[in-house]
Amino acid sequence: MVDPLTTSRLAHRALYLGLVATVIFVRILPLGSIPSRWPGPDLILCLTFVWLLRRPDYVPAFMVAVVFFSEDLIAMRPPGLWTALVLAGTEFLRTRETNFRDMPLLLEWLTTSAVIMLLSLLNWAILALFMVPHGSFGMTILQALSTIAIYPLVVAASLFLFGLRKAATGEVDALGHRL
Amino acid sequence: MAKDRNADSDFKGPVRRVLVATALFFLLAIFLIWRIDSPRVERFRAAFIDRVVPSFDWALVPVTKFVDMIEGFQSYAALYDQNQELRRELQQMKSWKEAAVRLEQQNAKLLAQNQVRLDPKLTSVSGVVLADSGSPFRQSVLLNVGLRDGIVDGWATMDGLGLVGRISGVGETTARVILLTDASSRIPVTIQPSGQKAMLVGDNTPYPPVEFLETPEQVRPGDRVISSGDGGVFPAGLLVGEVELGSDQRLRVRLAADYERLNFLRVLRSHPAEQITEAGGLITPPVSPPVHETINPPVPVGDAGDG
Repeated sequence: MVDPLTTSRLAHRALYLGLVATVIFVRILPLGSIPSRWPGPDLILCLTFVWLLRRPDYVPAFMVAVVFFSEDLIAMRPPGLWTALVLAGTEFLRTRETNFRDMPLLLEWLTTSAVIMLLSLLNWAILALFMVPHGSFGMTILQALSTIAIYPLVVAASLFLFGLRKAATGEVDALGHRL
Repeated sequence: MAKDRNADSDFKGPVRRVLVATALFFLLAIFLIWRIDSPRVERFRAAFIDRVVPSFDWALVPVTKFVDMIEGFQSYAALYDQNQELRRELQQMKSWKEAAVRLEQQNAKLLAQNQVRLDPKLTSVSGVVLADSGSPFRQSVLLNVGLRDGIVDGWATMDGLGLVGRISGVGETTARVILLTDASSRIPVTIQPSGQKAMLVGDNTPYPPVEFLETPEQVRPGDRVISSGDGGVFPAGLLVGEVELGSDQRLRVRLAADYERLNFLRVLRSHPAEQITEAGGLITPPVSPPVHETINPPVPVGDAGDG
């Protein structure tokens, strides 16, 4: 039989995929094609980091890879590069997830901000190195900044809408393993 | 229990790490392959988008229309002023309409006198905009026409008035249009009335700059910009927009196409201009037929059996 914990895990993974699909859907709506001066936040990256630091088992590595690679293809980005960077970033955070459990939100925010900024800069630098047409440096920084700015909002939304919080001390999974 | 768990993670940890490393390697390999052999990967991308985005179609159209309706409602606030303004404009338009009708008649007469034959190949396929690029760094839209409608890479795309962009990436049922504002867009243009050639270089801003101008002094804000057809990719004479002076003192183009609502786009079927490769041959007097040919009996006609 399927135990409730596995069901909940699968449901949350489906929810994550649904949220990502919604964000992509809203972004590709053809509502005016004038280039914007202020690039919006990268909501999918933000969502992934928030969920990863709450419940890493809801955002497994293969899902991160699939989600970001599809986004690469749809958003006309160079395929593979941003996915690889994000995968490396999430793995970095995933191995340190237990350290984040008793960290205040501010500290968590600072750490993820550093990761987001680093990923954006690396992406920009590699694109420049390979002479791929890419966005200007200012735009890249602005996008990273707006992603960082929206991070606490995504944390709050995940908590209040989907009840996503960090694993409490001593919380166990279906087999009695500590989370 | 604790021992058990450790044994478990001892086994799972390294395998997982290897898998993630393999994934990273593959992703970077894909990026490198894309950089080396872009067309193949781009074809894959076009096929992927062709499969995925039209499945959103049922929702994309209603949601877009709904948002447009809300925007329409917001404009009710200025209804009275708008009405007055429209009446004034209508008055002006009537006089313009008279002028246009007269010019049309004149034009028809002149064309008849000259026996001008307009290029029948310059026809178009119309498509509906399905989706945006979804990235702040790329300016492109997806059309619902593709290979099965005979769309070919590089064709020009217009809205009702002006040039919008060029086709880049064709799937079975979808085609991507790189807009003139995209950072990778380069279009040869002519600036009228001075007739100077230049390039329109997209840079991710609403007003793309004009570059490679021979004498910028001869260009004034308000001059018309049309495509020049240099390079043989684009048909010449398509309206692009008009020149204006940007806030950074560069000459930029205010595009004639309404980028705010790209709804229906026309893809112009352009055909590569015929190339004249050889220098003209010598014109010699007709060679008199060799003698032995007159001896031969004439070639029988009509029993080839192909009728």
